Amino acid sequence: ATEPWPENAALYQQLKEEQILLSDNASSLAVQAFLQMCNLPIRVICRANAEYMSPSGKVPFIHVGNQVVSELGPIVQFVKAKGHSLSDGLDEVQKAEMKAYMELVNNMLLTAELYLQWCDDVTVEEITHPRYGSPYPWPLNRILSYQKQWEVRRKMKAIGWAGKTLEQVLEDVDQCCHALSQRLGTQPYFFNKQPTELDALVFGHLFTILTTQLITDELSEKVKNYSNLTAFCRRIEQQYFEGHEKDCSTVAARSSKRSLLR
Amino acid sequence: MAAPMELSCWGGDWGLPSLHPESLTVMAYAKFSGAPLTVNIINNSWRTPKGDLPVLVSEDTVISQPAKILNFLRKQKYNADYDLSAKQGADTLAYIALLEEKLLPALLHTFWIEAENYCSVTKPWFASRIAFPLRLYLPGKMSREALNRILLTKGGPPLYSLTEVEAQIYRDAKECLNLLSKRLGTSQFFFGDTPTTLDAFVFGFLAPIYKVCFPRVQLQEHLKQLPNLCRFCDDILTCYFRFTVSGHSPAGQDTADANLQKLTQLVNKESNLIEKMDDNLRKSPQHPPRKLTTLKLAAGGEESGPMSRLSP
Repeated sequence: ATEPWPENAALYQQLKEEQILLSDNASSLAVQAFLQMCNLPIRVICRANAEYMSPSGKVPFIHVGNQVVSELGPIVQFVKAKGHSLSDGLDEVQKAEMKAYMELVNNMLLTAELYLQWCDDVTVEEITHPRYGSPYPWPLNRILSYQKQWEVRRKMKAIGWAGKTLEQVLEDVDQCCHALSQRLGTQPYFFNKQPTELDALVFGHLFTILTTQLITDELSEKVKNYSNLTAFCRRIEQQYFEGHEKDCSTVAARSSKRSLLR
Repeated sequence: MAAPMELSCWGGDWGLPSLHPESLTVMAYAKFSGAPLTVNIINNSWRTPKGDLPVLVSEDTVISQPAKILNFLRKQKYNADYDLSAKQGADTLAYIALLEEKLLPALLHTFWIEAENYCSVTKPWFASRIAFPLRLYLPGKMSREALNRILLTKGGPPLYSLTEVEAQIYRDAKECLNLLSKRLGTSQFFFGDTPTTLDAFVFGFLAPIYKVCFPRVQLQEHLKQLPNLCRFCDDILTCYFRFTVSGHSPAGQDTADANLQKLTQLVNKESNLIEKMDDNLRKSPQHPPRKLTTLKLAAGGEESGPMSRLSP
């Protein structure tokens, strides 16, 4: 039986202005986009310790009723169990394709974002370390960020990305964007008329890359090379996020603004 | 065309040219694109420049990862993806990512971490091919690396023990196999009738699961329930790897011997039949006088022949 979606559903992420990093922002935006596409209202709550509150250690996570679910994959399944799904209209081959492209984005874009913010020394010193530990006093902020950096670098080494240079990583990002651009073509969404979780995921990552200021603009330049991808991001932003304010917005205000646009 | 290219990789068994998925991928791609590679079966991955196989050496360039090797081959004009549209090229990248994320952990687990498999099959096989004293160290190192990779990429909370991680990765792998099977459908290769990069990668990952005989085989059993994937592997093995297969595996040698035996039996039978026909002809009443005269003439001719040759 499908239970109704409660009014006080909340999405937790780190502090938007001072703390959150590129990769976490991308994941959070992807989940927000997905829930918007499903027409499920959600509040965004920013907490400094969101990462530790999460059941899997990763942000974002949603608190719905008395259940807590984190990361896009499990959230999609959870929402499907509640009776809302974006990919029901796809046939088996299309579903396989969708899953494959989602893995491509996770494999290449997310890993590249993690590499850039934790393995590139300049970015680590100037952006990541100050931001990651900012809510905490010294020395806790340095300890926490060094711990996280060590963890991420271990993972990069295990999957073979530790030996890559920044140019190679940017080349991989370019290859991934090229593939996404080819797949999107001139359609409004990846599977023609209806948005799916793949559109939400791609939007989350690309929009964050385009709008986040890093040391250099090389990463966003790679995405800007593909005009259909930037148009795709703008379209989804206009359609689903126009009423979204800087701080945590209320449900009522957002839904009324959305109805004006449609 | 190009300088001679040499590929160093692990050897094979159970009907496969190599047991290592990445080596198998590169070999398959070389066969599909017609690149002339000399395959060098080596038994010591420490001799390679960066310590991992497969490695392609061409003149002065040394390239080590499968994706980079394939890129190099494409630049040398050995391109198996020539006929693919841009969208199909994008699909290739996506499916390769799916294979690496979902299928590779379970493959590594089956080979290197599952205790029974590792102790009874993988470790002895690799140890028998590596020289002493490295054979005491290298299989263990490869096993530890595989465990590390799986735990770091898949083993965060809420999965706290190795058994939970195992359950999750096998679930993912079976789902991945189902997705591949649906994508392949009834066609011979993933993009029509000619094999491409994606076919090379899928073959590289599936063939070891399919062919190697392990004691714990849950992934193999699941794969055998997907007949189009099994047919896909068998097709590639018979079409592209026939000569290497018959050279290496004992099963292939036996069939060759059996064929030879059958052939000799047939020849013997035929010659027996011919002799019988001859006998019948000689015994039949119509021909004896003519036969005798021809024989005498032949005998006479033969006697005179050598004598005339012998005389100077």
